[in-house]
Amino acid sequence: MDVINKLQILADAAKYDVSCSSSGSSRSNKRGGLGNAQAAGICHSWSDDGRCISLLKILMSNYCIYDCAYCVNRLSNDLPRATFTPEEIVDITINFYKRNYIEGLFLSSAVVKSPNHTMEMFKKVVMDLREKENFNGYIHIKAIPGADKDLIDSVGKYVDRMSVNIELPTDEGLKMLAPDKNHNAILNPMKNIKNEIVRNKEEKKIFKNTPKYVPAGQTTQLIVGATRDSDYKIINLAEGLYKGYDLKRVYYSAFIPVSQNPLLPRYEKPPLIRENRLYQADWLLRFYGFEAGELLDEKNENFDLLLDPKCDWALRNIHHFPMEINKVDYNLLLRVPGIGVKSALRIVSSRRFGKVTFDDLKKMGVVLKRAKYFITCDGKYFGIKSMDSNQIKKNIIGMDESIYSKQLSMFELQGGVFNEKGSGLSL
Amino acid sequence: MKKDLVYLYDGSFEGLLTCIYEVYYRRDDPKQITSKEDLTFSLVEEYVHIDTEMDKFKKVYESIESKISREFLKTVFYLYLSEDKDSGIIVLNYIRTGYKYGKDAMNYQTNPYIRAANEIYRKVSLERHRFLGLLRFKMLENGILYAIIEPDHNIISILGGHFSQRMSNEYWIIHDVKRSIAVFYNKEQWIIKSFESIGNISFQENELSYQSLWKAYYKHIAIDNRKNIRQKKSYMPTRYWKHLVEEGVQKNGFNKTNLD
Repeated sequence: MDVINKLQILADAAKYDVSCSSSGSSRSNKRGGLGNAQAAGICHSWSDDGRCISLLKILMSNYCIYDCAYCVNRLSNDLPRATFTPEEIVDITINFYKRNYIEGLFLSSAVVKSPNHTMEMFKKVVMDLREKENFNGYIHIKAIPGADKDLIDSVGKYVDRMSVNIELPTDEGLKMLAPDKNHNAILNPMKNIKNEIVRNKEEKKIFKNTPKYVPAGQTTQLIVGATRDSDYKIINLAEGLYKGYDLKRVYYSAFIPVSQNPLLPRYEKPPLIRENRLYQADWLLRFYGFEAGELLDEKNENFDLLLDPKCDWALRNIHHFPMEINKVDYNLLLRVPGIGVKSALRIVSSRRFGKVTFDDLKKMGVVLKRAKYFITCDGKYFGIKSMDSNQIKKNIIGMDESIYSKQLSMFELQGGVFNEKGSGLSL
Repeated sequence: MKKDLVYLYDGSFEGLLTCIYEVYYRRDDPKQITSKEDLTFSLVEEYVHIDTEMDKFKKVYESIESKISREFLKTVFYLYLSEDKDSGIIVLNYIRTGYKYGKDAMNYQTNPYIRAANEIYRKVSLERHRFLGLLRFKMLENGILYAIIEPDHNIISILGGHFSQRMSNEYWIIHDVKRSIAVFYNKEQWIIKSFESIGNISFQENELSYQSLWKAYYKHIAIDNRKNIRQKKSYMPTRYWKHLVEEGVQKNGFNKTNLD
């Protein structure tokens, strides 16, 4: 088979993994070497689905020994299969990199023969890239659950980022859709990678020349909407992963029907708005000082599809508002809908030179059509007459009719998804 | 009627800062500071030609660096690179405000002059960042990697450093065909020279097959169910597609548009 056919098959097989980020590592080039890694990450192109292309994201192989119902590469699926040799992967990576097509390599794979065998092949690729080719660009490798700890560790010494996909948020989900996997097999390597990162950092303090171990940290991916797990369960899991496992990112991927398995829900379209709400909530956890328990609870298990999670929180806690822009501290500014991290920083640094006015806010990038209901500027309020959360909600949702109707149709599509079991999603 | 004062300089960064020196020295209040090449003549304006002088340039340069900040100086340089038609006067107002508020001046977000400058700085640095990704090298027969760009702003001088670190062991050329200048790198240092055309191009034998591989990858990595061309265009504006291998119709390894 031609390399180009393999590339088509193995890019197709890899594209459902959402992560493509090349950030978090500042590896510098070596003498006579090729490449470095920029801490901020660089996008090299954008594909037709609007996603950034930063890394060459491919599977090494899509011949899988497992049969997970949600996965396009499952054993029982009838589709073209291919396997790259390590040499082919190295050659494409180096030549794409020299032409500035990519920031580096993101290599994953179906489980070929055994987890250890698959991991051994990864090791060959990363060793050749780093040692033979003197390649210092970004490398992201998937750790294969079930592979030996020592093997995973030896690969970790060569890469910038490692990740293990959890895919399904709960063990029940895994039992139903991926009977060959269980959560412990996934969480154990995550724990090991975390411990190894901590140990490596300590060692680096003593021995400067200790090679870096997974400097950009580890990430994972959760599929949204393949099982009946609520948003509350998902963000609680994400919070636990950030706190307990020190993860850099949790990615959420709207379930795209890749099989007709009766255990799986049927969507007209992937639940993209729900995915977006989860990303917004994820941002609130990581950069805005929110806790999962503040955003949702047992009674409100899922995000309002018509309202972003921060607005939703603010309306449920309307007694905290309005906040005075010129007085409240940074942490509270971050809780105002329509104010982001950048605009909050701008407000704080500008306050030292004088009062910030309502007009200034717009120029600082604050989204006033949301923020105006929740703030005062020098004592003046620009929202509606009363701080009535229902009325504010109506105003915010009604602002843009087109967005509203678009969201509503998505919302209707998602109703009745799990009807065979009678409960549906509690929207 | 008193005419509006317009400063004219040679279009170099050194020339621009010499103008700033003269504004302070002569206690003038020009309404425009502009490169001689960009001048459109008007009867209600009085023109003053400012000759570039290195010691005056240095004085202004060092004074901004020590009295305000290095970051501030960088913004002034980016304003110059923007080639915005008002960049001269924006620089003057920015520097005046800078001297007034000192080290913290850049944080004065509510000041209109600081904000105007930051806005342009943001555009130039965004374009630079985009080109770190969107620039495409092609391997010539003689082993030199060659890239053509046509950026809105004159960013070639702030791209060179990045690629000299990343591609330190390659020979490469980045050619801004809009401004007829290029960065040349010889595995040791990079220089900027004016450069019209590279002449007849022949590629290394496997160049076209790597281009085909990349195009195939580009097509297959997109998820059809999530098609969103609008979003793609918002991140990667169509004006930058001209020199992308993965977009547009191509002929002999170049996009058709730049053969016409």
